[in-house]
Amino acid sequence: MIYGDKKTGVLVQGATGKQGEFHIGLMNAYAQQVGGRGVVAGVTPGKGGQQVHGVPVFNTVKDAMKEHDIGAAVIFVPAGAAADAIMEEANAGIRTIVCITEHIPVQDTMKAIAYARMEGASVIGPNCPGLLSPGEVKMGIMPAGLFSHGNVGVISRSGTLTYEVVDELTRAGIGQSTVVGIGGDPVIGQTFVDVLERFENDPQTKAVVLIGEVGGNLEEEGAKSTDLPIVSYIAGVSAPPDKRMGHAGAIVEGGEGDARSKIARLKKHGVPVASRVSEIPDMVRERFRCHC
Amino acid sequence: MKLREYEAKNVLWEAGIPVPAGFLIRSADELTPHLGALGAAFVLKAQVDVGGRGKAGGILMAGKSDGTKVAKELFGKQIKGLPVKEVLAEQKLDIQHEYYLSITVDRSSKQPLILFTEAGGVEIEITAREHPELIKKVVANPLMKDLPPFLIRELIGKAPKEIGPVINKLYKIFIEKDALLAEINPLVTTPNGVFAADAKIIVDDNALGRQGIAMNRDLSEREREAEKHGFSYVELDGAIGVIGNGAGLTMATLDLIEFYGGKAANFLDVGGGAESERVMNAVRLVASVPSVKVIVVNLLGGITKCDEVAKGIIAAGISQKVIVRLAGTNEAEGRKLLSEKGYEMLDTMDLVVKKAVQVTA
Repeated sequence: MIYGDKKTGVLVQGATGKQGEFHIGLMNAYAQQVGGRGVVAGVTPGKGGQQVHGVPVFNTVKDAMKEHDIGAAVIFVPAGAAADAIMEEANAGIRTIVCITEHIPVQDTMKAIAYARMEGASVIGPNCPGLLSPGEVKMGIMPAGLFSHGNVGVISRSGTLTYEVVDELTRAGIGQSTVVGIGGDPVIGQTFVDVLERFENDPQTKAVVLIGEVGGNLEEEGAKSTDLPIVSYIAGVSAPPDKRMGHAGAIVEGGEGDARSKIARLKKHGVPVASRVSEIPDMVRERFRCHC
Repeated sequence: MKLREYEAKNVLWEAGIPVPAGFLIRSADELTPHLGALGAAFVLKAQVDVGGRGKAGGILMAGKSDGTKVAKELFGKQIKGLPVKEVLAEQKLDIQHEYYLSITVDRSSKQPLILFTEAGGVEIEITAREHPELIKKVVANPLMKDLPPFLIRELIGKAPKEIGPVINKLYKIFIEKDALLAEINPLVTTPNGVFAADAKIIVDDNALGRQGIAMNRDLSEREREAEKHGFSYVELDGAIGVIGNGAGLTMATLDLIEFYGGKAANFLDVGGGAESERVMNAVRLVASVPSVKVIVVNLLGGITKCDEVAKGIIAAGISQKVIVRLAGTNEAEGRKLLSEKGYEMLDTMDLVVKKAVQVTA
């Protein structure tokens, strides 16, 4: 596993909101199933002293840290407050911060991620489904029923598409070590490179499925950075080209952020790219003969 | 959302970056009072929300004597299908040299990226491809309000020093206006100093509210209707309507349609936890496009309740065929409801897409 395990105590920021409450319930149901600690504390300013599904709520992250051993945080607060939540957690000493919140202005994300980096924290997301290590821990909103324990790591920029891939893998009898949704925004904390580095140091992970999308070149940077066997899928082959980013987009990405040229470059690096999601399990099995 | 040229230039002007003297006119007659100030030769630029307007005939040169006639011609035009409602009449600059300056969001470094080159102008992308070494790039620390002077010195090199303050001012615009892109191309030197001859600013859609922008002009009417319901929606030109949850899965569904040789008419992302009324609205919206012959519904997720989705599809009561793939809670109930009404429900996205392509072939 990477980022956390059964022993990781999780804090939820935005615990008393509709989303926070709903997912504390699901995360702790999973913790109970696997015998993990799960969500041990919640934070909502002004709601300190309340409980959500039996989990104590605090006014600040530092208050929660005084009473509980916390290794990771999951953020469900609204977009306007999410960057502040990331910085509060990083400043309080939490080292793994998962930000589920979507629609955060990118200027706020850049500031929060720069701040977290300064404090030594890793941010997953924003605009992501979080992560799940089957049999160990769930931090986020992924539907646990689709997952199975095994040796294949999954990294994805997408949410539901990740579930689709995990579902295909599980049905084919290929279990997962950790599945990480890194988020769909232009600026995200942990990128393919960062997560692959963790997978390289994780003895459980033998191969990685990398699910990318049109835009940017982080998939290629990731593929170049690792020796782990990779199978990839890139969504957006049929997407009309986005001309909005002007010359700057073309200069930075060499005019190659589109899915087809991304696929071509991955193949050039020796990474097999599936043309359909349903091809992924066979490609994982055939190419790597991993015992999964 | 992309600002129009005159809006972007206003933002620049307010921040103290010189722009050519210009006037926005909404009819050819409105040009008359400005003819004196515009001088002997000037430029008329159509303010339409499309790229490549110059090549499409949206930029015309004019003079004092034929100005009104040329303006009439421009107002009578359609630029890439869009009527010309606003024209920027702008003084012609005596250009000595063209530079390129932009600030954008760099996905790799997660910081603002500033690009500057002495080889600016229309051929900038060719320069980038063939002589990337001519383009200077620096990243800025997003926690700092101003650019440190050393970064500006690194960028401008031997270019005129008066460009320095322009870079700092554009950086402030980039931060304060929640821009994803702030671009001046070309930034020109003239005997009267530096000017931003053209400008492009794209405001982050997630920040329109705090920027006081009430309506996103980049969206079509149906896209705006979809936005009201909290859907994201895009129109294409095929015959298959697509409803999915999550951008990635929806995109993968479209790719699969192309893989099997079909063409999507549109796609709609309903988001998570869709209830029956949301699903009904989504189905009706997708079906409202006349070219849609069949609709593929591909929904997956732990929190999506299949019986709710089924009820929504049935309540929409549309005339087109609907082919459904559902995975989630209450799957059996959903399947039962749909099959009672004669809807087709298949197990995988490959199967639903293949079927839809067959129907439209």
